[in-house]
Amino acid sequence: MDAINTVRTNKGLSIIGSLNPEDSLRADLGFDSLDLAELTVRIEKETGIDVFADSFVNTIGEILEKIKK
Amino acid sequence: MKDKTFLVAKDGAVFTYEKLLEEISTVVELPVYCYSSDVFEIFRTILASILAGVDLVLLDYDFTDEELNTLGIDSAIVNERIRIERLDIRDIEDLFESVANSQSWKLTLFTSGTTGVPKKVSHGISNLVRMVRQSERHKHSVWAYAYNPTHIAGVQVFFQALLNCNAIVDVFGLPRDMVLKRIEEYQVTNISATPTFYRMLLPMDRAHPSVKRLTSGGERFDSALAEKILEGFPNAQMRNIYASTEAGSVLESKDDKFTISDPQQCMIRDDKLFIRRSLLGLDSIVDEWYDTGDLVQITDSVKGEFIFVSRANEMINVGGYKANPLEIEEALCSHPSIESARVWGKPNPVVGNILMAEVVCSTLCSEAGIRAYLKDKLQDFKIPRVIDFVESIVTTRSGKIKRG
Repeated sequence: MDAINTVRTNKGLSIIGSLNPEDSLRADLGFDSLDLAELTVRIEKETGIDVFADSFVNTIGEILEKIKK
Repeated sequence: MKDKTFLVAKDGAVFTYEKLLEEISTVVELPVYCYSSDVFEIFRTILASILAGVDLVLLDYDFTDEELNTLGIDSAIVNERIRIERLDIRDIEDLFESVANSQSWKLTLFTSGTTGVPKKVSHGISNLVRMVRQSERHKHSVWAYAYNPTHIAGVQVFFQALLNCNAIVDVFGLPRDMVLKRIEEYQVTNISATPTFYRMLLPMDRAHPSVKRLTSGGERFDSALAEKILEGFPNAQMRNIYASTEAGSVLESKDDKFTISDPQQCMIRDDKLFIRRSLLGLDSIVDEWYDTGDLVQITDSVKGEFIFVSRANEMINVGGYKANPLEIEEALCSHPSIESARVWGKPNPVVGNILMAEVVCSTLCSEAGIRAYLKDKLQDFKIPRVIDFVESIVTTRSGKIKRG
């Protein structure tokens, strides 16, 4: 969550208060390839998990799923 | 023929070949530097400059004033124009003939140089159309245009489409859903793009049968990605291109393994790829071998198959764009609070490499603040996406900044 808002702040977008598992990283959060790349680094820093390692993730839910494992 | 679509612009505006000819014939002045965000304007300017025999320099529209200065271009002269006589073109064949005969015309592009200052590369028309294939089959192609029109790949795709009278559908920088919608709507048959572009199309949740040919270039080929992408393009074949701004497209393959098809043009020596200097821009017509600096590894010596291992220089490939860490470190250090900086590329599954930075600050700084500062100095892809604040920068034993 923090990671997502950091990427949004750096991009000049507003901070979001809540996220839905169905939210699409690209369509709903407005992330482009560089933003997604940045997000992977930030999540990896916090959790040690590379969420894109074995497949492309599209939604918040898919990220949460990978972090839980 | 005349009412055939030439270009579908980013905003959806449609230009026919007839409109293109008409617009070229209204040109009365030409810029020395093409510095526009309008793709139609860029294409028209390239063609008009060929017809008028006036050399042209292509600049990225997102170059900042500071980057232009580094290139030795005063931002005041960027808009300078030369008056020309009205261009008289009868029809599209006439245009093609003029393009083919424009032997003295040259186009200049910029590539990230190894020393920090981008390098100028000039090409004559023969180099730009070297890889163009023309045939009956190619006449019906529709191109999804996924490159920056001011870069060599974009220029080469433009000529491939133009010389076959194909429609060009601009999808460069558009969001995924819009790209897929355009592929469907205009029944696109060919896509030429970077692995990062293809990656952003995932997941392929439906099939796009109109696409026959996918070309991948600009970054290391990703076989797993190719497999996934082809699920969405069941009628397509994928090919991988090795190219550089200096030489344009040089080698082609179905996957990450290349073979040298023309020993007159390329050779491998000491595990490095050499290409004939005559393939390079106009400034080097000497008949010698040029060291691309790209390291290869022979995978099958009988068939002569090899793969690219790494590029020897320090450029960082970010989604197909080459960033120079020295240039970025310099920009960071120009910040009043930053004492020293280190920039490196971290391998990343989305864009190949992501730019990371460490900075030593004399006063309190924020990551967002530094990013905002760099925005006026550097193109967006050159701005480090993660900036860490440290006490000191690690250097190698020779006193150089460590990059990995």
